[in-house]
Amino acid sequence: MRGLSFLALVAGCAGPGALHQATLVGQCAESDAACSKRHPLAPIAIGAHFQPEVSAEIDGTASPSLQLESVDPSVIAVDHGELVAKRAGASEILISTDDGSVVDFELAWAAPVTELTLAHRDGDRVAGTIAMTVGEDVTLVPGLWNGAQRLGGAAEVTWTQSADAPIAVLRDGSLDRRRIRARAAGKSTVTVAFGDASAAIDVEVVP
Amino acid sequence: MRAAYLVVALAACNPELSQISVAPPGRAARLDEVHHSWHADTYRIEVSRGVALAIDCTAGGPCEHLHVVSDDPAIAEVRPASLGVLQSAGYTRQQPAAAVVVIGKAPGKTRLHLAAAEGHRDIDVTVVATP
Repeated sequence: MRGLSFLALVAGCAGPGALHQATLVGQCAESDAACSKRHPLAPIAIGAHFQPEVSAEIDGTASPSLQLESVDPSVIAVDHGELVAKRAGASEILISTDDGSVVDFELAWAAPVTELTLAHRDGDRVAGTIAMTVGEDVTLVPGLWNGAQRLGGAAEVTWTQSADAPIAVLRDGSLDRRRIRARAAGKSTVTVAFGDASAAIDVEVVP
Repeated sequence: MRAAYLVVALAACNPELSQISVAPPGRAARLDEVHHSWHADTYRIEVSRGVALAIDCTAGGPCEHLHVVSDDPAIAEVRPASLGVLQSAGYTRQQPAAAVVVIGKAPGKTRLHLAAAEGHRDIDVTVVATP
């Protein structure tokens, strides 16, 4: 009963951490619906980096300086504030003050990528051929999946295009996203791959 | 008989522990009280590797000067928890909660020694391997 009372007390505060005092959310732009880092509650794809933003909500104080620490770095490591999934499993991420006092903790999971998809920045999944006009740009975002579950984190996927392609695949500053620019009329196939998973889309450019 | 009363009196002074975080799916994180006939009750914890378990300490109110040491931090590590909540201390008073976080580091068994102004407790910890 005493424990229940205590839980009722702490449940009054928001936050997915076990102690309901802090949150870990992905760093995504508001308008970026397809942001691959928007899924803090999903497992992180093995080999991917999840950039969390940590905040605490404690009565009577602004958020103290907080540090992240993984209980099992062989599963999920913390590297310069990023969570890096190393192998399948789970590890508690401790959210602590500078003196080591634990403010909260949250179990993070890591899972392998079994399927790769491509989506537009508005989150709409690309299912067929993309038709473009010369000079047009389309930004594509890879989605990492484990079965029916969307995985979190951004991975450095490999982008390739067919030879003599009428398009250019351009980096736009993010780890995983690419901008496709139509340069001339013609057809091409763009393939993205990460580990054993891959996906391909056809692009047709018209004058 | 006098000795028995003394044992009961001493046991009553020792802090009580409660689990305040839940076990994640497919993982262990559980605190149990172990009753003894001849000495003060102890506690046992089963926690999976990579999992943390928060427990709070009370003795009529939140424990004062809570300090927990692990015999083998490579198996189970203990960190102080900083909780921004008050708990009842008697009928009229409230005091800051006192809690620690027990972390399963590697499969094995070890013992934690909890000391507070109100008394002490031993906690046997088993860290189990993950599937």
